[in-house]
Parts: sequence; structure tokens; C-alpha cells
Amino acid sequence: MRLTMRNSLRHLKEILIVVFLSCSVAGASDWSELAQQLARKIAAVTGPCAIAVTTENRSSLAKKDFEAMSGTLRADLEALGARAAKPEQAAASAAVWLSENRQFYVWLAKIQQGAGESAVVMVTAPRGDDAGLAHEPMPMSLHKIPLWTQEDRILDVAVLEEDTAAKTIAVLDGKKVSIYRLKSGKWQQAESLDIAHAGPWPRDLRGRLTAPAATDHLLEVYLPGVFCKSTATLPLALNCRESDDPWPLIATAAISFPTPVGAASAQPLGAFYSTTRNFFVGALAPGIGKITNVGKFYSAASLPRDKYFLWLFAGMDGQIHFVDGVADQAMKADWGSDIVSVKTPCESGWQVLATGTAENGMDTIRAYEIADRDPVPVSTALDFSGEITALWAEAKGDSAIAVVRNRETGDYEALRVAVACSQ
Amino acid sequence: MRRFALQWLAASSLLLTSLFIQAGAAETRPQYGGTVRIAIREAPASLDPSLDLSGAVEADSLARRNLLALVFETLATVDDRGRVHPGLATEWQAAPGNQRWQFHMRRGVKFHDGSLLTAEIAASSLRMANPSWKVFAEGDSIIVERDHGDSTLPAELALTRNSIVKKNSGGKLSGTGAFRIADWQSMKQLTLEAEENYWRGRAFVDTIEVEMGRNFHEQLVELEMGRADLVEVAPEQGHQVGMEGRRVSTSEPMEIVALVFRGAPKTADEKLLRSALAHSVERGSMKSVLLQGAGQPTASLLPNWMSGYGFVFPTDADLKQARHEREQVRAESSWTVGYDANDSLARVLVERVALNAKDAGLVLQPSTLQTSATSVADLRLVRIPLASADPWIALANAAETLGMAMPMSTGKSVEDLYAAEKSLLGEHRVIPLFHLPAECAVSPALNDWRPAADASWRLDEVWLGKDKP
Repeated sequence: MRLTMRNSLRHLKEILIVVFLSCSVAGASDWSELAQQLARKIAAVTGPCAIAVTTENRSSLAKKDFEAMSGTLRADLEALGARAAKPEQAAASAAVWLSENRQFYVWLAKIQQGAGESAVVMVTAPRGDDAGLAHEPMPMSLHKIPLWTQEDRILDVAVLEEDTAAKTIAVLDGKKVSIYRLKSGKWQQAESLDIAHAGPWPRDLRGRLTAPAATDHLLEVYLPGVFCKSTATLPLALNCRESDDPWPLIATAAISFPTPVGAASAQPLGAFYSTTRNFFVGALAPGIGKITNVGKFYSAASLPRDKYFLWLFAGMDGQIHFVDGVADQAMKADWGSDIVSVKTPCESGWQVLATGTAENGMDTIRAYEIADRDPVPVSTALDFSGEITALWAEAKGDSAIAVVRNRETGDYEALRVAVACSQ
Repeated sequence: MRRFALQWLAASSLLLTSLFIQAGAAETRPQYGGTVRIAIREAPASLDPSLDLSGAVEADSLARRNLLALVFETLATVDDRGRVHPGLATEWQAAPGNQRWQFHMRRGVKFHDGSLLTAEIAASSLRMANPSWKVFAEGDSIIVERDHGDSTLPAELALTRNSIVKKNSGGKLSGTGAFRIADWQSMKQLTLEAEENYWRGRAFVDTIEVEMGRNFHEQLVELEMGRADLVEVAPEQGHQVGMEGRRVSTSEPMEIVALVFRGAPKTADEKLLRSALAHSVERGSMKSVLLQGAGQPTASLLPNWMSGYGFVFPTDADLKQARHEREQVRAESSWTVGYDANDSLARVLVERVALNAKDAGLVLQPSTLQTSATSVADLRLVRIPLASADPWIALANAAETLGMAMPMSTGKSVEDLYAAEKSLLGEHRVIPLFHLPAECAVSPALNDWRPAADASWRLDEVWLGKDKP
């Protein structure tokens, strides 16, 4: 069974590689057009003659792609009357390089005819941004599904409509909420709702975007010191006001799962967020049992137990606090600052997803089960292309939204992180 | 399968519990507070960004630029890919021909003295830095009129010298940046404090303390003793410092090392002799021995990462060609070559160039310079920090620093850039030798330190871990 799984994953990886290559390397038609342009420029210098061409790849493009491009260039030169010849038989020589700067691929040729001064001609094509590839599966595996990428820092994404994949999404950044719809395979902006706020946002800005099951409004936005609520019907309007209302710590739909046997029904739990910093100040509303303050923390996750809910808080003291309504037990862990819980059909049914320590600026997310108070990893770490700047549970409770700042491009990428059970 | 999984869970639980308890705290979200201490070699006498540094190339160091960027801001910014972004201006438009530009000012931005940034103040600041420009306020925007089309103006406005500065009575400078000046002791010490109401959000650290005028050795000692969090490292020492286990970051090459003649060649013979000198230089061995493998030999002004074509200019020595060119000139020739007396790398490079020249039959006499502006040497070795990651701005600025006129260009393609650079090099006034990166060593306490390709520090984004005293 595992072999079958491995094979299918290998196939998936191969498919991804093919898709990746065909997308990232500008596209075959772009390169052939570029090859024609360069061939024309070379031929304009040499005229129809025998020419010795050498090629060298000084760019980050794969050798295979480079060789294909070189072949196209040679064919185009032939078509223009610049026929290939050995150096000793050639009337001209052209050293051709594929190079690059930060923004462009630079394809250039240095042409020498006789003892005269050499001529340099070149053509350019914008560089695309590379994308990462898949990861290996383990007992429980995490998968990331790209949702949205943009230059501005993404704070949260809510999937508003989906069938096999997301069809309508709302994207929250520091300036606006944007609604996008998938039409004919392309995302199109349906609406953009500006967020009004008075003062500057704090650094490491965080925010939550939820779509509660309410009749009078569609979206709720929580930002430091600001709360916004949209209207219920299209076209939407967003009304924002200064507010220190508590932020919801758990997605609304997640607590609608069957409550533990004998457990009190799960109460929505909110926490007060600092208006000028990047953390929750510790005060809870209404509280967990008799505990109403857990100290400053960055994020929280909840897990149902037989007769209670166990809450985990990623504290500013670097420890994970386990709070059951009676006691607050702290433990050091090599986790990052962001945790969420997800409800899945795997193993105990609930897992905590935690960010890693972002060594070398490349973050990870890993799934853990919490036996008593002991976190046990149940998946391998899922790699990301940079640091994770947000991790929130989705409303349906079985997946999370992660936002990563791509270390290469600097863009923010929102991805859905889902758990898949091994067979 | 489920039983297997549960057994595995139980077994790994025992093992991993102990690992968890032993693991250190590792929260990754930034924390506010603390003081970052920096030591630099430069000892600026002024923090005025508009100070005319032309003719004093060494003074416009990357360190000075990085410090000023913490306090002062520009209308636009250029990232390390050379892309222009809004800064104190939110958007801009150019009239046809790119001679007249309108920049719309960001609203609600305040100077550190509490006053509001206005178009009038910004226009005044730009006029101060660019006396030949026509700059004036028009409502909430600024109009810049040039005497020629300038499609790179937004990128040019991102240069440090174009920072928006408010000069209060008594000459006190006020900026809009992430940090305000708390204490300034000229050429000695600078203390910066985080601006609480900074429009991009308050910086994470509370204070930045800068010790100036520390040589590379002193800086490393400060780092080693835990008295500095960020120090500069000489390019030729970067590899060694990294091998010793320190956290070293290296930018893309952002500095040109070049030989510059005082003026254009007056005769064909002089042109031949300069060409002979250029052909005689053995950059490869200099890199291996004198630079300890650091830097990139170059015969171009722009590094390849910026242009994409730099390697087209050959860097290999051609002694045969050098001798051939020398032999075509009958007259004796002897040049004095100046270098900064405080720069040990410059000294050894000049000495090696003189040896190479001798092999080609040329005479070079090294001599130290106290200030490059008053140089009387026939040629001098200069180290010029590239002004921007925008290749056009970098080239134009380098040309200006070298005292050369940037060729006018109608297009802005890479091919146009190549043509402009080729034209500059064709004047036989400059012989590029190396492109050097900027290297820094940072303490482990400094989090989110992201070495940028263009050597910018971005200290408004760093934060200090809990272990920091």
C-alpha cells in the first residue's frame, strides 16, 4: 500500500515538475520569439555567411531548457543564411551566453569578424518567480494548496465558496479586503473593500478575517484596535470602527463538531489583542473555567478531552501553556509562535499544527498529537519558501490558512494547509 | 495499520517528550524592545543627507547610507532587485517626454519634531540637494522639472542625498524615518530611538547605538566581547571570520575598486599607454592572494548581477598585448598612483598593480593620499559604493563620482545600458579592477536580520531575542 502511495506521489511530483517547467520558463513560444530576435540581430552584424557559434549558460535556467533554446537559435540563424561552420572555416564567430540580472534573462552574443572590434548584441526577457515543489509523505502528511499571492502582506484568507477547490476567496491585507472569484481558471477581483483606520499599524501586523454564519453580515475583520463588519449582500460595504473587542480564538464552525462525551458544550472563546504590538495581551473572554488571564501569547489552539477542552497557548515567554480550566502548565518546545488545531479523520481526530523555528529564514509546519500534555509529531515538517507570517484555523475546522513571505520574491503567499491520513 | 500507528505514537511519545522538555524556547514572532549596538569604520562629521560628497567618494560609505536611511526617508524607494516602490510619495506621473514629474505626497506623515510633512517642506529639501532642479509644491504634490527627459527620476529620488529633511532653527535635522536622533556626537557616537508613531509601524527595537571610527579589528573584538550586535567585516577577511563560527552576511558586489586617471587622454600615445596598463593587470592572482578569494574581478563598472552582461568585458591579463602597446610609444612614461593611506587593501592592490605595470614596461609610483579631493596623483585607486540597485542610477552615480559625464540615452533597455557603459569605458579614464561585496558580522541575538543584495541593513525590521541582556 505504501509503495502504491509512493508511486502515485512520484507521478504527482513528475506532473508538478512538468507543469512547473512549462510555466516558469517563460513559455516555449516566448523563447522561440526571443531566439528569432537574437538571430536577426546576429545576422544583421554578420550578414549571410559561415559562422562559428559557441553557447554558454550563465543563468539559473536548467541545462535542458538552455540547450533547447540554443538549438532554436541555431536553426533561426541557419534560416537567416548564417550557416554553422567550424571556427577555422567560419567568416565570423559568435559567442552566445544566456545570462541574467535581478529582473531579466539577458541573452547576448559577442560577434567577431576578422581582426576588427567585436560587436555585442542582446535580447532580454523578464525573469519569472520560481515555485517550490512537493515533499515526502509520512504517517500523516500535510499538504499545501496555494490560494493567493500578492506583494502586500496578507493577513488572512477566507474561502467563501468551494467545490473541489476554492471558487471565491476573501483576502485581508492592511489596506483592504479583496474578494476574488475563479472564472475560467483565472482569479478575477470581484470587490475591494477599503479598511479605514486612524493610526499607523504596528509592525508584524496581524489580522483575522472570518465569515460567520450570520444573517446580517458576511465578513468580520479583526485588526489591532479596529473591527470591521461587512454588509450581507453584494455589492458589499465594509464598516470599520475603533475597537478593542476580543478576537475569536477558534473558528466558529470548528466548535460545532460533536462535543466530547460529558464535556460542557464548547463556548466561543475570545482574547484581547494589543492595539500597538503583535500579541494577545492575555485576557480571555469569557475565560477557560476559572482562568481568565493566561499571560501574553501569540496564538492558541484547543483540543477536546473527555470532559473538558484543553487549550494550548504559544506564550511570549517562549513556552507552550496547557490550560484546562483549572491549571496552567507550561512546557518548552521547539515550536514557533503560531499554532492552530484542526479536526481531521486521522488518529485521535484532533491535531495541532505548529510552525517551526524558521532556521535560515525557511519556515515549516508540522502536525502534532497531544497525548496528555506531551506533543508527539505525527507528520514530517512541511517546508515553506520563507517565514510564516500568519497561521489561522479555517472556519470549517479541518484545515488552516498559512501565509508565508517568499524569501526569493518577497511576495506573500497564502496557502491552505490540510492534513491527509496515511492508509 | 491503526494499531501500528498507535504503537508508534506511544513509543515516539516517550522519546520525544524528553526532547521537548530539553528544547529551548524558540518563539519566532518578533518581540519589541532592547538596544542594538553597531560599530562602524566610518566616522561621519554630519548626518545631513544632502551634504555634497562628490569628490569625496570614500565618505559616501554604505554604512553612512544605512544609518541615514533609519532617520530619513525618500519619496520613492528602490528594492534590491532595482524595482521602484512608493515611499513618502504614494504615486507619481510623468508628462510626455519625462521632463516634468508630479509626485503625490503621502498624507499623515510626521517629522520627528511632530510637525506634518508637507509638499512645501519636501520641495525645499529636494531643492537644497539638487540646486539645478526646478522643484516646487503644487497642492499636496511636488512638481520636479528637469532640463532633459529623465525616465529614472523616481529611482534617483530614492538616493540617500534626496532624503526629505527638515532643518529646524539651530540646524537641527528632523526626518520621518523609523528612528529619531536621540544623541549625536560628531564622528564618535550616534544614538537613535524608535519613533512611536512611525507611519510604517514602530520598529521592534527601542534603541540603536552606533560607535563610529572603529577599525575592522576593533569591531570584531566588540562583537566577540558581546559589546556589539552588528559590525563590518573587511571583504578579504569575510571568509576567515565566517570560518571562525561567526554569523557573517555578504551582499552582492556593491562596491567598485578601480584605477581612475585625472583626465581624458590628451594624445594617442597616452591612450595606448593606458590601454597597456589595463591589459597588464592580473586580477585573478590579486583576488586569490590579496582579496583571499573575495570579490569579483571586473573590467566593467556595473557588476554582473545588476547588468547581466558584465562578463563580456574581458578581465584576463594580456601581457603580450600590454607590451605591444607599450612598445608603440617611444616616450618615457611614469605615473604616480595615489591611494587612501588608511586603507590597507588599497595599498597592497596598488603595489601589485605597479608590479604588473612594470612587467609591461610601465612605471607606476605609489603614493598615499590624505584626501582624494586634493589628489595630484596621475591616477588613483578608488573604492566607490554603488548608489542603487537600479543599474541606470548606479552607473550614472558612479560616472558622476569618477568625474565623467553619463552618456545620454533615449532607451532604457539592457542593450542601451551596455552601450552607455561601453561608451564610458571607451574614454580610457577608468580601469575597473574588482567588485566587492559588503560583509557584516552579527550577533546571534539579532533576529530577522535579512542580508540584502544591495547591502542595506533594514534595522527597522530586526528584533532582539530573549537571551539578549
